[in-house]
Amino acid sequence: MKSISIERAWESGRGGLLVLMPAVLLSACDVSVINPGRVQEDFLFKAEAQAAIVKGIGRAASEAHNWVGYTGAAITREIHPSGSTGSFGIQVEWQNGELDYETVNTHWNLSQRARWWGDDGISKIEEAGAEDPEMLGRAYLWAGYAYRLLAENFCDAVIDGGPREPRSVYYERAIARFDQARAHGSSEVAMAATAARASVKAFLGDWNGAVADATTVPDDFVFHMPYHSTEGTTTHNRIQFASQAEPYKAHTQKFTKYEEYSLSDNNPNGDPRVPFRVTDETGDAAVQCCGQVPWWPQTKYPEPGADIPLSKGAEMRLIEAEAMLIAGDWRGAMGRINGLREAAGVEAATASNALETWTALKRERGIVLWLEGRRLGDFFRWNRDNAPGDRHPLEVPSGSQNEGSHLIQQDLCFPIARSEIDTNDNL
Amino acid sequence: MTIRPFAAGRAIGVRVAAAVLAAALALPGEAAAQDGAITGTIIDAASQRPVGSVQIVLAGTSLGTLSRDNGRFVILNVPAGEYTVRASRIGYAALEAQITVVPGRSTEHDFAMAAQALGLDEIVITGTAGAARRREVGNAVTQLDVARDVVGPPVNVDALLQARVPGMSITQSSASSGGGAMIRLRGNVSMTQSNQPLIYIDGVRVRSEGFGKNVPPVGYSGRSNNDISSPLNNINPQDIERVEVIKGAAATTLYGTEASAGVIQIFTRRGSVGEATWTGQVEQGFARNLTFGPDPSLRPPSENPTSLSGGRSDFLFINPWLRGHKPSCEDPIVVEGQPCDSGLFSDIGAHQQKYAVNVGGGARDVRYFVSGSYENDDGVLQNDNEKKVILRGNFSFTPLDNLDVQWNTSYTNDQLSHTAGGNNAHGMTLNTFRRDRNYLNDESFNAINPFLDQELTTQIDHLITGLTATFSPFGSFTNQLSLGYDLAQQDNRNLRPFGFIRAPSGILSTSRFEFSTLTVDYVGSFDLELPANIGSRFSFGGQSITERRELTTAYGENFPGPGDPDVDNAGNTLGFEDRTRVVTAGFFAQNVFERANRYFLTVGFRVDGNSAFGSDFGVKWYPQASGAYIVSDEDFWPESWGTMKLRMAWGQAGRAPGAFDAVRTFSAAGWGGEPAFLPSNVGNADIGPETTSEFETGFEGSFLDDRIAMDVTVFHQKTSDALFSVRQIPSQGFIGSQLANIGQLTNRGLEVGLNVSVVRNDTWSWDLSASLAAHGSNVDTLGGATEFSIGGFGWVIEGQPAPVIRSDCVTNPDELADPIIEQDCIHGPNQATTIASFGTTFGLPYGVTLTARSEYQGGAFMFNGPQAAATRRSVRWAGCFEAYNTEETRGPNALTAEERARCNVQWYQSDFAIQPADFFKIREVSLQAPLPDAWANRMGAARANVTVSGRNFFRWVDPLMRTLDPEVGGNVGYNTRVRSMTEHVPPPAYYTLSMQVVF
Repeated sequence: MKSISIERAWESGRGGLLVLMPAVLLSACDVSVINPGRVQEDFLFKAEAQAAIVKGIGRAASEAHNWVGYTGAAITREIHPSGSTGSFGIQVEWQNGELDYETVNTHWNLSQRARWWGDDGISKIEEAGAEDPEMLGRAYLWAGYAYRLLAENFCDAVIDGGPREPRSVYYERAIARFDQARAHGSSEVAMAATAARASVKAFLGDWNGAVADATTVPDDFVFHMPYHSTEGTTTHNRIQFASQAEPYKAHTQKFTKYEEYSLSDNNPNGDPRVPFRVTDETGDAAVQCCGQVPWWPQTKYPEPGADIPLSKGAEMRLIEAEAMLIAGDWRGAMGRINGLREAAGVEAATASNALETWTALKRERGIVLWLEGRRLGDFFRWNRDNAPGDRHPLEVPSGSQNEGSHLIQQDLCFPIARSEIDTNDNL
Repeated sequence: MTIRPFAAGRAIGVRVAAAVLAAALALPGEAAAQDGAITGTIIDAASQRPVGSVQIVLAGTSLGTLSRDNGRFVILNVPAGEYTVRASRIGYAALEAQITVVPGRSTEHDFAMAAQALGLDEIVITGTAGAARRREVGNAVTQLDVARDVVGPPVNVDALLQARVPGMSITQSSASSGGGAMIRLRGNVSMTQSNQPLIYIDGVRVRSEGFGKNVPPVGYSGRSNNDISSPLNNINPQDIERVEVIKGAAATTLYGTEASAGVIQIFTRRGSVGEATWTGQVEQGFARNLTFGPDPSLRPPSENPTSLSGGRSDFLFINPWLRGHKPSCEDPIVVEGQPCDSGLFSDIGAHQQKYAVNVGGGARDVRYFVSGSYENDDGVLQNDNEKKVILRGNFSFTPLDNLDVQWNTSYTNDQLSHTAGGNNAHGMTLNTFRRDRNYLNDESFNAINPFLDQELTTQIDHLITGLTATFSPFGSFTNQLSLGYDLAQQDNRNLRPFGFIRAPSGILSTSRFEFSTLTVDYVGSFDLELPANIGSRFSFGGQSITERRELTTAYGENFPGPGDPDVDNAGNTLGFEDRTRVVTAGFFAQNVFERANRYFLTVGFRVDGNSAFGSDFGVKWYPQASGAYIVSDEDFWPESWGTMKLRMAWGQAGRAPGAFDAVRTFSAAGWGGEPAFLPSNVGNADIGPETTSEFETGFEGSFLDDRIAMDVTVFHQKTSDALFSVRQIPSQGFIGSQLANIGQLTNRGLEVGLNVSVVRNDTWSWDLSASLAAHGSNVDTLGGATEFSIGGFGWVIEGQPAPVIRSDCVTNPDELADPIIEQDCIHGPNQATTIASFGTTFGLPYGVTLTARSEYQGGAFMFNGPQAAATRRSVRWAGCFEAYNTEETRGPNALTAEERARCNVQWYQSDFAIQPADFFKIREVSLQAPLPDAWANRMGAARANVTVSGRNFFRWVDPLMRTLDPEVGGNVGYNTRVRSMTEHVPPPAYYTLSMQVVF
């Protein structure tokens, strides 16, 4: 090293640079940056944010409904796998009827997010004071539907990182939210909340309460969960989108019971409430059970933006029918069922006793609520209540990949997912 | 030394302008009548070949220059007198000579430099505050001298560095044109942040992460070629003078936050005084794949030897679209219009061509190096092509005796076209690999060929400019101020046109990225004499780095009809925007204490602030200490024992979290055209950088008359406050993970580099080189968090490598029985734990050079995604041909449990596609021969040479990896923390013939 003494350096008068240079740099060391694009929480307590909070609660509920409804449809064989097992497909486990806790993280996560965001978003609006009470009513309704989804499809309840609780916790919270929606919402929201509350009460076995609500809902009432063609695939109707040639031809009506009586190219006089299209194509990939499966896509939802009914008058009539049947009035129940069939333009169903009426009722609920995310819940409660009447052989497990429904087993509710079990110390 | 008055600075602009003009005209500066000049030629003492880029300085002055490619040098305007002239260059022993300069005359002195295995007085830049001699540095620094160490013309900078630095792994992830490579130094230091080292070019921080992937913002994120380009490859390898690599926190402390994964510094060539020296280079070559599937002879009886398109299992049936391997035109399976091999080299491979020219020279006050290159490279896949223009201008100004200004600028225009690949249902690779069970249920040529209709084009304009001023107001005080700006604009266009086979109504996405990095860097250095004959160099400085990333995307779908659309034409259109800016600023100080030119102690620190740190975090402090001891300079050390330096270093560096990780945020999503909020990020106000502390020690030595050089390093890294993705409890509403500084990782290893000069004489030479790097990582603690996945079966689990590959496995693999499956088996690390390279260079008569390099990587496991995805869809997967054969010829009971699990869909789980990723490749064999001088002279050139090179043309992989190549990457190209495969064609082999002419 070539050196000079300290003294000489300072004497040179330029030693001040030793201090000056870093000082100049440090003066420019402002590292504070606010990046645009994402919304910080404080903003959500402002009144201007409330509309988007309510929309967000709805969207969260729609995404959860999308996943749970789709996979539930595969487990109950409302649809049969025919293509991709990946992004928009039906995984091998679900093809077999298994809802393993490692495969349902997305369903659990989205459903819990919808539930939590419903509660949290509402509390933010309530804290700031609702700018529009009707808007708040709609938030209550979406939150109620989020709870209903959990109640009808998940085996156990977990709230906010707490311990495992009975599923009834979801029912109770759903009813509470529907009560608030009835109190604050518009007439349409109030009617939807009433119908939704009827379905939850039916699930709880409160048939008097269910019928009391159901009877106030007219035949032609329908309240939908909106889906959209734009804004990305998470806002698409998943059942519709996955069934189409773009992207994956992932499921088909081939090998389902609907082959027998649906409106289709093979059956022009079939039931128009369960329509599908017959094509000479096969699904996009070979399926474990059956190789390459003919692709007969559903047409109930014609495009990715097709809405999915959440509550409707027809379901109310079936609640009334089921209540009658439980009360021993099987003829009255058949009357309700055939009333719906007549309105749909299909021939009346027949039954000569309660058992046959139960079978007809189960079939009719399958038709009326087809691809609406409700079938798994129905199977669960009928199984729980030992409800008489057979389901169709193509919607019960055959125990083999090679015959019948190709279902090896049939789990009737979603378990708590691994994502929760791994992280929640209370479980 | 003459210190000119500061008033002279007012005339700097005039002087610079005049000097630039003079330099451009290649006129040596006019010497004052009382001054003289020194000229000469520098040759290699053994080979007698000229040596360029030798630094020649007159001791005690600021006068000096670099030798040119022809070995000539000239130093002008040398005041008359006696001088010590010192010549130094990496890889050679420095020489000194006493010269007398006579007024008005040129003094000639030639140097014959002897190769030196260990040059303790070589200058290193990287990791130090200013330049330092190698003998002072307490940590390992690898220097690659391109002119000395590189024979054949490398394809790009990634290829230039491959298998040359102990502990460095460089893996290209696909055959996609312009695809970059993952670079790891000593493995991973982070489980959630980037492990790509920082890159500096001529002191300017440039983007080290990949460019943006060409994918629409809507829908599945794999509608792409699924690979990305690397900014590193926007440098022309021929423009590089040397590369310095430092690997760990002990060496990178002064780079602070972001530097824990190591630093690569690239120094480009500079002009030297003298008339212009022109160099031209022409390269022609081709790329061609090795096989990456099972031999067709293994096929089961039920399988046709080829697919309906003529594809073969050894290329996973994609060869009809693979340049260099198309079916013969004689093959009856070839349909009308199908490209085929008609013989006579019609299908030799993908054509590669490159043309480059550079010129360097200048006067005393201004030197220049200007270069330009153009390459036009087809890829092996049908739509793949890269056209790249690189321009560079490096200008050195010496307006005052004590002021040097270096202005380096490069501009790259890279135009890429790609074939859709990776895990992409709309892609060529996936749909050929899956044969008749693809997304068309048809493997014929005419069915699959329309996938080529997708247009994937990218244009990257990349400007790197840096200005460095070095001012020495008096002898031992230097100030260096650098301003650098790295600006890259990327234009991605991804069109599935109207009528496209998998999106009939058409989809178009146009994205514009802008990446920029602004660097302001000051270093001051001050030499002092302390009592007791202790020398001291105090350095201090500060740095500010501002990184911006902006992305705007227009997306449209549903076009009314055919044509060349823009987004406006679409029925549905969407727009997207993303902007982030991250600022890092800090200052540092370092002091080097020296005694007797053999004992060195360095202490220093850096303090950083960063805009991504949590609001409660504050600044981060990184300390450093190192020592070096030239034991061979001691009296007790016999000269015959050679040279030995012992070193030891400890230091810290960091990695910052992402721009939004500290903040609790909600995403603004739409729903039916109206705004909607969704929970997004939990936020963490305490978040800061993860801190890697590293201790390394080792020695550098040369023995047996400099015939053996050895470099041994042992290191131990500990990353504390490691940023781990803490999985949130889903029932608490936020379903993503949140980064938190809770973990601790360790990584320890050994690196050995060995160079042996077996034969060294005027005619023959034979050098051997080898390196071995072994390391092992461990997750010490998760800090109470739950073990978490980072994709591709890569997990972060306490007590396991970081990351470890974990999956369900078969516990009775070799039994002729059904598989017994165990959950959560540990396979091993995902990054190679052993990297070894071997090289040899022969110097032959007539100046002919033959060199070879090879590399082995072992100890890693990875997920073979294409196999998993195909088998679970009941595809007859080529990787299972052997098992199918057994099943068909000897019955299902003849299958082992492993074969049943892997190949029989009844048992199938993706978990069974975990495979060892060991491989050995010959990275390069090159033969370079000079043309006879008479031939060169006939072209008007001073000299010329011809080089034939082959790269990656031999490969061994673990037999359990039956398909593809362990270097194949996933859908994010090389930008991943867990290596796993998707449906890519592996990187090909390259064969090149090049000619270089020096005028």
